[in-house]
Amino acid sequence: MANTFKTDPIEFKPAAAQPAPSSTVGPVAWIKENLFSSIPNSVVTILVILGLLNVVPGVIDWMFISSTWSGASQDACVSDGACWVFIQAWSQQFFYGSYPSDGLWRVNLSLILLFVVIVLSFTLPANIRLKVSVPLFLVLPFVCIAILDGRLVGLDYVNTDFWGGFSLNVLMAAAAIIVAFPFSFLWALGRRSDMPLARSISVVFIEFFRGVPVLALFFMGSVMLPLFFAEGTNVDKLVRVWIVLIFFMSGYMAEVFRGGFQAIPSGQYEAADSIGLGYWQKTLLIILPQVIKVSMPNILATFVMLFKNTVFLLIIGIPEVLQTLLTALSNSNWLGGHAVEGYVFVGVIFWLCCFGMSMLASSIEKKLDTSHRN
Amino acid sequence: MLKQKTTEQIKAATRKTESGSHAFYNNPKYRAAIYQALLIFGLAYFFFTIISNTFDNLEAAGIKSGFGFLSNAAGYDVLMSLIDFSSTDTYLRVFIVGFLNTILVSILGIFFATVLGFIFGVMYFSTNWIVKKISVIYVETFRNIPLLLQILFWYSAVLATLPGPRDSLSLGEAVFLNVRGLFIPKLVGEGGSILVYLALAAAIVGIFVLRSWAKKRQDATGQQFPVFNTSVAMVIGLPFLAALVTGFPFVIDYPALQGFGFRGGITVIPELMALTIALSVYTGAFIAEAVRAGIQAVPHGQTEAARSIGLREGKIMSLIIVPQAMRVIVPLLNSEYQSLVKNSTLAAAIAYPDLFNVFVGTALNQTGQAIETIFMAIVVYFAVNMFISFIMNRFNSNVELVGR
Repeated sequence: MANTFKTDPIEFKPAAAQPAPSSTVGPVAWIKENLFSSIPNSVVTILVILGLLNVVPGVIDWMFISSTWSGASQDACVSDGACWVFIQAWSQQFFYGSYPSDGLWRVNLSLILLFVVIVLSFTLPANIRLKVSVPLFLVLPFVCIAILDGRLVGLDYVNTDFWGGFSLNVLMAAAAIIVAFPFSFLWALGRRSDMPLARSISVVFIEFFRGVPVLALFFMGSVMLPLFFAEGTNVDKLVRVWIVLIFFMSGYMAEVFRGGFQAIPSGQYEAADSIGLGYWQKTLLIILPQVIKVSMPNILATFVMLFKNTVFLLIIGIPEVLQTLLTALSNSNWLGGHAVEGYVFVGVIFWLCCFGMSMLASSIEKKLDTSHRN
Repeated sequence: MLKQKTTEQIKAATRKTESGSHAFYNNPKYRAAIYQALLIFGLAYFFFTIISNTFDNLEAAGIKSGFGFLSNAAGYDVLMSLIDFSSTDTYLRVFIVGFLNTILVSILGIFFATVLGFIFGVMYFSTNWIVKKISVIYVETFRNIPLLLQILFWYSAVLATLPGPRDSLSLGEAVFLNVRGLFIPKLVGEGGSILVYLALAAAIVGIFVLRSWAKKRQDATGQQFPVFNTSVAMVIGLPFLAALVTGFPFVIDYPALQGFGFRGGITVIPELMALTIALSVYTGAFIAEAVRAGIQAVPHGQTEAARSIGLREGKIMSLIIVPQAMRVIVPLLNSEYQSLVKNSTLAAAIAYPDLFNVFVGTALNQTGQAIETIFMAIVVYFAVNMFISFIMNRFNSNVELVGR
């Protein structure tokens, strides 16, 4: 050390740090600290591990080891394990409902279009992102309906009675939230408006659709809505449910947007005023882009709620995925009691989608969080 | 918001002073009036169309509107009712039966969801890695699976696989669980039992009196009073004393196997069980999230400060952290409870006779009175949720930060 100082007195080289004591690093120390830090902790750990050992091997055995993966009918399922043949045999119905087999590409195309538009809205260059993706989103539901229905684009006509399965859940939720977007934005603006009438109408609307059980809304859609249309008009059941979902969604989203509006600093409004923008210019060009940005995590959370709620459609008899599962369970060829397999399968699909979206929401939230609290 | 309003007002004011050169339609005041008039006109037209269409449609279908149907005999039986009901009773009674069933499942659901939510929410802060992970797995699993799927799962994949009445699972020959439901003993009071109930009520009132007295005394003198222990002693002791005086005027009615089913005791039908389990597990996951957020919102400095004045760990939680966390938790609990009540309408999927199922479902089908039945049901859900909101707001003002 002394020599180094003589040759190069300016450079200071600290001695290399000592390695941490072996009792505080490595898996053993981690286990000691996190699992066996005290006597009650150790007892809890051991009890939990014993409990898991009791349950987990049985579940794994049922799901993977002694389960049947291939076969043509339920006769193939002779073991005690899960009968995944049931899922396999009904997978087309679970995903596409009773949509004609030669037209499945139309459902796939709709889903791909949805996916492409979502990806575009995140990846386009920032200067044209909103200008391109907003119109794309607004057109999308109607394009998808045209493709699935087929009459407008010269394909075979498929009645909405045949639409169903998990793809219906996805498309229904997406179509509802997209159309609800502009409405909810208007309701949120109305609630913040200085005009007393506009404000009170918005408040009544928002609170009504947030306060009523969604099932009551579906019933209104299937029983009351036909009464509202002029005599002789026959509106498709799916369209009526779509309208209900749009209203329901715009009530919830209006509150999300209201939170977003409140998060925008008043300096933004003042700056827009000072450069002489009118009300709509100010709102659409300055405020709305920022509102969408800050409320993105909450919009996703609301979408997850809507997506889970699409299952409720089964109660009014629309063949979404859970209804299809119930139909499959009561099919005379499959009466072997495959309820658990079915529920696990549908549950896992929903779980993957909802969990993925909530992960996405929290990652966006982290990205947006520029505060340095901690 | 406030500032933004003032700029609008300044703008309006400046425009006013130089009016004369401006047309009246550029005046924000007139503009607002015109917009609102248009809005009202549009809305009035919309409602007028809807209402006249509805009347036309109802006339065409031959349905007489009004609430007269409520006094007609319902003609169908209800699976479970808390009050006496037979198929000759009126639709109004069906309404009450359904309402009580909704309240029952809501209270059970709220109770168990709160218990589950607080247990798993606090478990997240355990120093034990496994315990913490269990909390995370619980929340993420049950939050992300549709409630309806969970209800059906509990009903037809779990409860339906229970053994039949003859080989039911039993606990000390008093509690039985089988595919027909859960059978628990029932406490039947005889004469003089009224005194015991009165003693219990007196004990509960006494606790509130005691609490406010103890708080006042602590504020004045700094002396603490063991409120919790005294309260427990009062709730158990007073009724026990009353029972001792009146000579235990109770008979326990045990359920017993008779023929193919159980007689006596209280029967909890599997529909109610499935709905309660699913509602509490699902809402419990959301409440656990709320509890976690509430505890995380309390700055760590509070714990350190509490440690530095020598409080024990248990006291830190109950005296310092939880009261502050409650400020965040209570408003969230409010909305979770309200959504639980709304979600209880999913009873329709498994035919639990709640208000929605027996009234909007069956009664609507039989009478065709769509608007009346749905309206009545909606009013009830609004009223219940407003009641919850009222209670929770009262509770919230207790835990709120008081500015001095």
